[in-house]
Amino acid sequence: MHVSEVTKIRRKVLAEVSRLALEGTLEENIAGILSTVVSEDGPRYRCCVHKERAVLKDRINMALSQPIGTPLAEAAGKALGGERADLPAVNLLPEACDRCPIDKFLVTDACRNCLAHNCIASCPKKAIMVVQNRAYIDKTICIECGMCKRSCSYGAIIEISRPCERACDLKAIVAGSDRRAVIDYEKCVQCGACKVACPFGAISERSEIVQLIQRIKDGQRVYALLAPAFIGQFGPKVKPEQIIGAIGRLGFHSVKEVALGADAVALAEAGEFTRAVPAEQPFLTTSCCPAFVAMVEKHLPDAGDRVSTTVSPMIAAAKAVKEEDPSAAIVFVGPCVAKKAEARRYPDLVDFVLTFEELAAMFVGAGINVAETEAGDHLTAASRDGIGFARAGGVTQAVLDTVAHLAPGAALKPQRADGLADCLAVLTKMQQGALDANFLEGMACQGGCVGGPGTMADQRLTAKLVELYAGQAPVATAPDNTAARPEIDLHRRKK
Amino acid sequence: MSTLLVEICLGTSCHLMGSQDIIDAIESLPPDKRGKIDLRGVTCLKTCRKGPNARINGVVLSEMTPERTLAVIEDNLP
Ligand code: SF4
Ligand code: SF4
Ligand code: FES
Repeated sequence: MHVSEVTKIRRKVLAEVSRLALEGTLEENIAGILSTVVSEDGPRYRCCVHKERAVLKDRINMALSQPIGTPLAEAAGKALGGERADLPAVNLLPEACDRCPIDKFLVTDACRNCLAHNCIASCPKKAIMVVQNRAYIDKTICIECGMCKRSCSYGAIIEISRPCERACDLKAIVAGSDRRAVIDYEKCVQCGACKVACPFGAISERSEIVQLIQRIKDGQRVYALLAPAFIGQFGPKVKPEQIIGAIGRLGFHSVKEVALGADAVALAEAGEFTRAVPAEQPFLTTSCCPAFVAMVEKHLPDAGDRVSTTVSPMIAAAKAVKEEDPSAAIVFVGPCVAKKAEARRYPDLVDFVLTFEELAAMFVGAGINVAETEAGDHLTAASRDGIGFARAGGVTQAVLDTVAHLAPGAALKPQRADGLADCLAVLTKMQQGALDANFLEGMACQGGCVGGPGTMADQRLTAKLVELYAGQAPVATAPDNTAARPEIDLHRRKK
Repeated sequence: MSTLLVEICLGTSCHLMGSQDIIDAIESLPPDKRGKIDLRGVTCLKTCRKGPNARINGVVLSEMTPERTLAVIEDNLP
């Protein structure tokens, strides 16, 4: 996983904000971040230091969960007071967007100036003419319909798009009138794929580390719910127990496994499958990925009642903690950006959502080196299958194993989809009855959560390490796990 | 055969700044070069705020990139 220069800047901002908040000097020193992160003589990625700092101001507001354009001292004050603006999880940083000047359809050297001139004939706006023996698209007339590209027998006209637009499988990013990217939140499901794709770092998730640090300082009992993809995120040599030890050093009261919630989800979902399929509905889909669920709500609402009514493992795990300790503050820590949006539906259960990247920035801000931290408690109260939720195919395995246990005769015919384009295409086919399957696992991120936008390690490596860790779990499947809590209400809240 | 000692910091600060990319770049060198490198991970080189850090032939180098690291290695190979 390549750490680009913009990624470094984003991470430095998060680490500095954490450091100052932990020190208690954030409000006085917030403007100092502008010069610590971008020095006068340091490497430059923008035209000048002024532009670089204007971009940084956007980043700092995002790191404080305040609207873009808030003066920095005011933003710091609000964050320290626990305020968080009502922002989507994924936001565009207007200063950072390069307004990538891209002509969508481009005539290449492959153009032969053939006699047929299919391109000219196909263009509904007559935007194409021949200039110097080659087709030429008049950009002032072109409406970017793509007819010419399809018509050319030589494939000489190619389509190029901006990195963010290309990354968004749901076509939620368009160029605004000033050529800046605009996210259409009617279509966006907050998956974070565009954030990973933009080479200018112009798309970012909001962060609530300062609000969280204040909560820890106030002495509230703060629980970390650690998603199973955490294995290997701090380097392949770092042991899981060291990560748990380091979280304790940050002042968290306790660390729980989201994988335990995954076991509860597997039990509930398997129960739902055996009850409802095929008696009430032809197939059931998973509901653990919030971006997948939002994709169904926004793009295929007719399939809404095929989605499992079970909550996600995050919510199941949070409920279990709240039952034992009603005044706990709960922080989900994982690879996911969409969970930041999901958590807003459950403000009574989940207080904060951190990505692994943000957790690492907090460690750095606190001067904690996980690689040199003593091992904390051992986890794995979860089953092998529960831990497996971290990678694509894991939920299917868990539900298969659980169904085999609950209703040995039931025939579960699984289908998997990862990446939103794949999810949309497969679900559409299943709606039409065109696939011989009665269970769909839908994951917005390619490879599943190990490929999420908040990760710091290569997903293939993480998948392998997760597999190894899962192999050490004391029990194999959810029904074997006496610690799973199927008796709490695990019904999802709809929008 | 003599080898060049290359130590890459795997501490959290350097990891966050991409030290794994440097390791990957060294690991994928062609065998004749890779064979001359004694690659080790260390947990901190005490210059955390200037990561990612490497120590090559005993000299600590800060704000490294995979490209710079490979260039320094090239210059120092036995
Ligand atoms: S759906 Fe995902 S890729 Fe598309 S705009 Fe939203 S966060 Fe970005
Ligand atoms: S696949 Fe996992 S990380 Fe990606 S959006 Fe879904 S729940 Fe989040
Ligand atoms: S973590 Fe790399 S120098 Fe300290």
